[in-house]
Amino acid sequence: MARTDFSHPIRQSSKGIIIIFAFNALKFFKKFFVLLIAFGVSILRQKSLAGVTPMMLLLGLIGVLVIILIIAILKYLNFKFHLSKDDFHLATGIINKDNTIIPKSKIQNVYLKQNFLQQIINVVSVKIETAGDKKSEIEISALDKPTALLLKKKLFTKDTVETDEIITENEALEQPNVFFRVTPKRLFLEGVSQNHFKSFLLIVTFAFGLYSESKEFIEELELEQHLEGYENLDETTILNLIITNVIIVIGVVIVSFLFSVVKTFIINFNLEVVEHQKTVEINKGLFNKVSLSLTPSRIQNLVIKTNRVKRYFNLHSLSVKQAMVNAKQQKNFKIVALEKEQLNYLIDKLLTYYNEDSEQGKPRPYFMRISIFEMLLFGLIINGLSVGFFGLVMLWINVIFIPFAVLYVYYAYKKAYYKISENFVTIGSGVIDTTTNILEIHKIQAVRLKHTIFQKRMNISSVVISTASKSVTIPYINDEEALKIYNYLLFKVESQDKDWM
Amino acid sequence: MNFTNLQIEIESLPKVEAVNLKPIAKSYFKIIALNKLALYAGLIVLVFGGRYFMEKNEAVQFNLWYILSAVSVFCILNFVIGYLAFKKRKYAVREHDVIYSKGLIIHSIITVPMSRIQHVEESRSWLARYLDLATLNIYTAGEAGSDLSIKGLPYLEAKEIKEIISSKVNGTH
Repeated sequence: MARTDFSHPIRQSSKGIIIIFAFNALKFFKKFFVLLIAFGVSILRQKSLAGVTPMMLLLGLIGVLVIILIIAILKYLNFKFHLSKDDFHLATGIINKDNTIIPKSKIQNVYLKQNFLQQIINVVSVKIETAGDKKSEIEISALDKPTALLLKKKLFTKDTVETDEIITENEALEQPNVFFRVTPKRLFLEGVSQNHFKSFLLIVTFAFGLYSESKEFIEELELEQHLEGYENLDETTILNLIITNVIIVIGVVIVSFLFSVVKTFIINFNLEVVEHQKTVEINKGLFNKVSLSLTPSRIQNLVIKTNRVKRYFNLHSLSVKQAMVNAKQQKNFKIVALEKEQLNYLIDKLLTYYNEDSEQGKPRPYFMRISIFEMLLFGLIINGLSVGFFGLVMLWINVIFIPFAVLYVYYAYKKAYYKISENFVTIGSGVIDTTTNILEIHKIQAVRLKHTIFQKRMNISSVVISTASKSVTIPYINDEEALKIYNYLLFKVESQDKDWM
Repeated sequence: MNFTNLQIEIESLPKVEAVNLKPIAKSYFKIIALNKLALYAGLIVLVFGGRYFMEKNEAVQFNLWYILSAVSVFCILNFVIGYLAFKKRKYAVREHDVIYSKGLIIHSIITVPMSRIQHVEESRSWLARYLDLATLNIYTAGEAGSDLSIKGLPYLEAKEIKEIISSKVNGTH
């Protein structure tokens, strides 16, 4: 493997021109898409518009593409980076020269990414994130893989006198251990056993919108008699109606099923968890390959999700919320289809000395009252809408809705609990999913106690615990208990001199 | 290594409920009241404007007084609640944290440990300058949920608190 020398300013791989060109061309067409279409169509129709012929339009387009290409080449030529002792230097800009210097110690994350095009021409992009705002993000869009890996490693090694030999030695020492690799079968199961409610609702609303849009169209097709037939309600039409509805529902279910499965597949294709000495690396993706590393000290919350079906297949997913990661990346820190033992192992690796055996507390039964109230409201809306659109027949929807609501209230309460131990807070929640939230006490940023004016009379409060990446709530517990937790957490945070990151 | 692991008596921990919270400056209510009055004026203008534009429609003119009384009931209620909620705005600075409580209908007490504060700033609108008040903004590293904004502090006190927090934040890091 030829080692790239980072100590002098170097350009990225020359394939970078293609990436920059494609990216800018795409951006251009996205911006002017509507305009182009409108212009193009009107020209094609009238042969010419204000002296512009289709030929001229085509030439103009080619001209624009050439300009974009030239800009891409210039951008490529002017994009140089190098590493000095403890800084990363980047020079960019064609006319306005920008010189960015990032101290290595301020770099928060380095990602490797590969989108579809980058996979074809076999380059990776390196993204460097610092703690500041979004603008301080740097992306080198085309490096070949060994160079990118080397750069990543060099960015993270703070030791400045390191020579190549030491690095090779380290490499030999640190055998990356591929700890978990997902099989297509498990990924498929993961997709199937997902909570389909969300995609179901999405598709139902979409279908509904389509229906109300095409309503007039249907009427125009003189199907009126057919539709009026419904009001006569003779048995065959009712049967027909039911059959059509069942078919529609089944269709929607299948579509949402496929949607979830395909989505899971694309995002988590070839998911791999690699264990390094201190960090854990995640690789995944079909069209967009990403490679991320997790640093235990930066982890703020862990969220574990599973549900009844998934538990049967022994599938668990783990989302890791880190500090200083932008929202878009945050979604990628999710490992799906883990087995229970693997999950426990990972948790142990990420949180030292996590133990679950401490007293479990439950919210007051008042929790159920709130859920019931929510369900009533939801039920009212559903009933109102369906009766308004389809008439009183739709009151039958309650046959499905009421058991659903009862189960919702029952499970929501059953699954809600909290545990507070020496160093960790664990909060369970969920209705269809079983969600477990874990956070380390010394990473807490602020604690909030709240109650409404009605809850005050009943001595009920909720405790909201915020970390740098997420807020979790211990809902509806006794005032005294809430204050006890509040004081305890504050005491723990303030008496230890531990940093949150 | 000097390591001890004493049992913690939960009852003996410092209690947030025992802290004597201090109400914010009374004159801040003037600002709240002015803001609210501006809002009410806007609403009433909207009602009359609505009548003006729909004058041709007979039904609307008939309803004007209903709408107006509904708006004024809303305003009065809003004002009363605003006043009561103002009384709930209290704060305290302890050795290791800052406490702020607020809210009538949804009451909340938030505490931010000093060691988690990233930076503090103190800002004043022109109205606040006139009344000699200031707003203290305390930022943590967290999402928006854990930042604190204490409005209506006496200017001198805001400056003092800012100094205290700044020295603590810079001292520990």
